[in-house]
Amino acid sequence: MKLTIDRVSKQYKNLIAVDRVSVNLEKGVYGLLGANGAGKTTLMRMICGILKPDGGTISYDGIGADTEAYRAVLGYLPQDFGYYPEFRAVDFLLYLAALKGIPKTQAKRRAEELLELVSLQNVRHKKVKTFSGGMKQRLGIAQALLNEPKLLVLDEPTAGLDPKERVRFRELIGDIGKESIVLLSTHIVSDIEHIADEILMMKDGQLIYHGKWDGAKGDLEEFYLQQNA
Amino acid sequence: MNIFLTLYHYELKKILGRKLVWIALFLCIGCIIFAETGNLSGNYYVEGEAVDTHYHMFQVDSAYQRALSGRVVGQELLEETMSAYSKIPKTAERYTETEEYQKYARQYSDIFQIIWRWIERNPWYEGWQAEEQSLYDARADRQEEAWTDLFLSDTEKAFWQEQEEKIDKPFTYYYHEGYGTILKDLDTVGILMLLLTAVCLSGVFPEEHMRRTDQMILSSAKGRTVAYWAKLSAGISVSFLCALLTGLAVVTVALVIYGSEGFQTAVQLYSYMSIYAYPLSIGQACVIAYGVFLVAAVLMGVLVMVGSELMHNSIATLALFTGLIIAGAMFDIPAQYRAAAQIWQSLPMSFLSRRGIFSEWLIAAGGQCFTAWQAVPLLYVIGGAVAAAAGAKIYRRYQVSGR
Repeated sequence: MKLTIDRVSKQYKNLIAVDRVSVNLEKGVYGLLGANGAGKTTLMRMICGILKPDGGTISYDGIGADTEAYRAVLGYLPQDFGYYPEFRAVDFLLYLAALKGIPKTQAKRRAEELLELVSLQNVRHKKVKTFSGGMKQRLGIAQALLNEPKLLVLDEPTAGLDPKERVRFRELIGDIGKESIVLLSTHIVSDIEHIADEILMMKDGQLIYHGKWDGAKGDLEEFYLQQNA
Repeated sequence: MNIFLTLYHYELKKILGRKLVWIALFLCIGCIIFAETGNLSGNYYVEGEAVDTHYHMFQVDSAYQRALSGRVVGQELLEETMSAYSKIPKTAERYTETEEYQKYARQYSDIFQIIWRWIERNPWYEGWQAEEQSLYDARADRQEEAWTDLFLSDTEKAFWQEQEEKIDKPFTYYYHEGYGTILKDLDTVGILMLLLTAVCLSGVFPEEHMRRTDQMILSSAKGRTVAYWAKLSAGISVSFLCALLTGLAVVTVALVIYGSEGFQTAVQLYSYMSIYAYPLSIGQACVIAYGVFLVAAVLMGVLVMVGSELMHNSIATLALFTGLIIAGAMFDIPAQYRAAAQIWQSLPMSFLSRRGIFSEWLIAAGGQCFTAWQAVPLLYVIGGAVAAAAGAKIYRRYQVSGR
């Protein structure tokens, strides 16, 4: 199980959003830190195959990011994702499950499991338009987990979650990270400190730090602020 | 297949979940009902004075027309008609307002109109002598003139001449007001249906980008392949359904109000198609017209959806297609620019009319000539398939950037 990102670049007109990023990720939780505009979302979109790099390659166990086989092992929670207001929570998950190619019977079982996991089982027949921001975010997390992904990419997953939900989320991600590659980005440094096995830090499109972080290296937040000063 | 059907179900649910779709559909059907019944409401005025109601006039005229059903438009009926009309004094300013017209001639009004159309002058005023052969010769002259005006080639003229010879003459008259109304309404309902399709489907693809649901769709295993075809199929189903419902509204209202008899009437006895040289009954013409209407709805659905995916904007798509539909209804290319005129007339916004579907311009392929209603629907199917395949390529290549 290995995600290989090899000299990946993306440029928008005069702006280099991602500049020759190379990194290999194996089983575990990776926290991606960076200020706004550092290139986190662009890198994540390229990893998820919805944005083509201008240069470089991305592959999972040798399978290219632009293939159906790659997308079959991928779970993705975009930063600012949309929903279908008229869909019920369970319909939303069943629709996404079909998009992921999960057969109907299996999809129903998995949707129920995930609704319980994100504490939405009591509102599964309610329309998504009636949900609060936190509920929508939990539904988004559930959809990302539908296909039991080997590669889970979460862009600002804790946004909108209250402190109690955030703790539950950390535990959930910790469990998934034992079997899969989890890459998550957030502005909240404490989330990364608690969940991530390794830290990836981006600045101006470049990867400026990659490695484990322990107390001996000092305060992560202080380091992060120094790098982005 | 199960995945496709599940996605198709949800895509259909997304489209039909939009209130705009239902409002547009009900408005469209409301307009059709209003247009049909509107003709029969109100009074008929002569010099500012109400002399009759339109509904009563319709009842009287349709009773007269029904009385003529089954009669051959031959020497005997022509003589009766002209004899009745000859009783109207030539001094009358408007012959329809004379007592003699009401008493003797009105019952032959439909036959009189046929004569007038074919000889191209008022038979009463001109004192036309009833003669079957000269009437049918006059019709043949009108055909020749029309074919010349349309710049038909010799091959086309020979084709129509050959078809004309297959038509049984003299014609037998039957009451056919219901089918005539169905054909007449095609010109309006065609535009309504195209607009309805544009309104219902212009948002199918762009809304995923606007809502930002595209990121989840495109990053999922089937999101770039099966999802496209499921969306397209759902959109096609909706356009087909809209066309079917509007078409059924026209047919139902027309047949309920005007009656369903007269299916077998030669289409040449219908005013608008009196010189059309193809052996068809008016009922068959209706079936052909509304069959083409359904095929055009499918093509329009595909074009609107593919166009919207190309532009990523539902408003721009709606504006573009509304403009094209209005242009198609308002403008014509003169017949002397034959190729351009024929292509323009074959586009759905111009084609969905009596003139488009029953055009004399033929399409040659494989050494054979085909009428517009035979060839254009086939071209629509091919065009729709090509557009759908191009749309799949555009959709597959879409990149989520910016925001």
